[in-house]
Amino acid sequence: MNNRVARCVMFVTPTNPRFIDKAWTRGGDVYILDIEDSIAPAEKQRCRTLIRESIEKANKGGASIFVRINKPFVDADLPYAVWPGVDRIMLPKTETAEEMKHAHAIVSRLEKERGVAPGTIELYPMIESTLGAVNIHEILTAIPRRVHSMGGAGGYDMAVSLGIEMFADFDQYAFPVAYVALAAMALDIEAIGAVFVPNTSGRVDQADQAAKQAAALHAAGIHQAGALHPNFIQPLVSGLSPTAEETDWAKRVIEAYEELTDAGESVGELAGKVIDKYEYAAAKRTLEWTAQCAAKDAYKRRAMKRAQASESSPGSGMS
Amino acid sequence: MQHDITSSAAPGGDKPLPKFIRRSLVALSINDPRLTEKASACEADAIVLQFDKLSGSDWQQELRARMPAAIHSAARAGAEVFVRIARNAAIAELDAAVFSGLTGIVLTGVSGSAEVRQVCDHLARIEERRGIARNCLEISIDVDNPAAVWHSLDIARASPRFGMLIVNEQALCVSLGMQTQPQLAFDPLEYIKSQLITVALAAGGQAVGMSYPLGLTGQQVEDATLKKAVRRARDTGFKGAMCPHVSWVAACNVGFRPSDDEAAYYRKVIEVFAEGLKRGMASVPLDGKMVDVPVDVRAKLYLQWANRAAARDAEKARARAASS
Repeated sequence: MNNRVARCVMFVTPTNPRFIDKAWTRGGDVYILDIEDSIAPAEKQRCRTLIRESIEKANKGGASIFVRINKPFVDADLPYAVWPGVDRIMLPKTETAEEMKHAHAIVSRLEKERGVAPGTIELYPMIESTLGAVNIHEILTAIPRRVHSMGGAGGYDMAVSLGIEMFADFDQYAFPVAYVALAAMALDIEAIGAVFVPNTSGRVDQADQAAKQAAALHAAGIHQAGALHPNFIQPLVSGLSPTAEETDWAKRVIEAYEELTDAGESVGELAGKVIDKYEYAAAKRTLEWTAQCAAKDAYKRRAMKRAQASESSPGSGMS
Repeated sequence: MQHDITSSAAPGGDKPLPKFIRRSLVALSINDPRLTEKASACEADAIVLQFDKLSGSDWQQELRARMPAAIHSAARAGAEVFVRIARNAAIAELDAAVFSGLTGIVLTGVSGSAEVRQVCDHLARIEERRGIARNCLEISIDVDNPAAVWHSLDIARASPRFGMLIVNEQALCVSLGMQTQPQLAFDPLEYIKSQLITVALAAGGQAVGMSYPLGLTGQQVEDATLKKAVRRARDTGFKGAMCPHVSWVAACNVGFRPSDDEAAYYRKVIEVFAEGLKRGMASVPLDGKMVDVPVDVRAKLYLQWANRAAARDAEKARARAASS
């Protein structure tokens, strides 16, 4: 499965059948099975026991699966989170390298016990405090395992750490966002990016807000975004995919630049724009992203078709 | 007002946010003949004493003679009292200016963590020598040069006495070769301010500063403009500001704390979330917004903040009444 394409990363609560059973029909690229903030303390244990079956429910439509655990309950949560089919485990409020080492040791042991190839499951330190932000480099380099990084450290928890009210009409996270993103880039670690888009209403269910966010991220070359409401899924998936015009332009740039280099030139012009090695590299990235999105979409279509057939077949057990 | 600054735990075990209720800081000179009068009338949470070293005199001896009374005067209206110390003459100035009654020092011209460690060690000797409780004197940093910004994390982590990073915008602009007259539509120090706020909090302290352009000009402006500027500073993460005019103090005291409306909203959040938890829900709607664990945590912390600010105001009012 291509788990690198994560245009929309949607949180779902395993304890709520209304959300988990329908998740696969929504078309998200990734579902996060949450044991953290969307789960009440009294429901945590029941939620843990539902993770394994929720993986199969949520990925029926071809989505990748992440699990978000609780910072205070790492030891208790991880045995319920490490299973075949889990691509990434999210470690909220990570602040030190020691936390990464601790989680890595447990995940490595569980992978071995459960037949998951060693190192398959990525760890994702979520930077949600000022301390996590300033320690980002040591956090990202703490363990011999693939890690994913936040491209920007904002959100509710960071707001609380900073002692601010979020949803102001200006960027309140200038340093933590840039610093955390830069650390990931310097280490060549893939990161979810962030671009400031005003949302003074604080609402998380408005599709037009999702479309604005997607447009801003897309313009910044960022291909991933998170969602708390299903209304965000389609605007993000479509808004973060390359457009036909972008793909066509990329093909023309590549063709024009290769013709240039064949002729011993390195700089030329296409439709009034300068074409050089930088434009060529950007065009190649666009085509790579186009191919990755197409592969993910095709995978999701096939999975969706199988799931729909299974749902409608007699004896499927589903109404 | 003295407390062991190496212990940051609040009653109940949670770290309070912000660590200190220092919304308004005013600089006063001990050489000012009206120091007592000004300090008594001032409603600032903190007063930073500064002094001139007159040439031709034994400034250390003179300072030693004047500081205890100056500290007493500055504290009359309940303010915490600090003294400004220049890094390049730190040991001599500390010996002459640090006495019982101070909350701490504000160190200027710092360019690295070694300087802070040296000052920290010397403060321990002064505490012992002058009968000041151990580990009580704080070190705050006047961030007035690019090296202080670049090394801010090391500087803030250099001593358990660390209290505040105070953004000195004018000095920074001068040392960065920037215009000191605000002519831009954006804050050229936005990233630096965000960095210092993040670093100060990560190191267990807090940052003091104002939004652009008032942080640079220090002008007296109409109430609405000042209120808006303070709100923006608070929304950036500052917990207080140096007030170049007494007129700023009231606005900072009101603005660098959750408003009454916000406190009422936090109470509602706490109530709605508690009801949701009883029903087994960890995410409940309130006025079109989602209330979940972090929102509830924030409401509790910020309500505590509002209550602490109100308690601080009451404490200062009692001090003023007692001294009048």
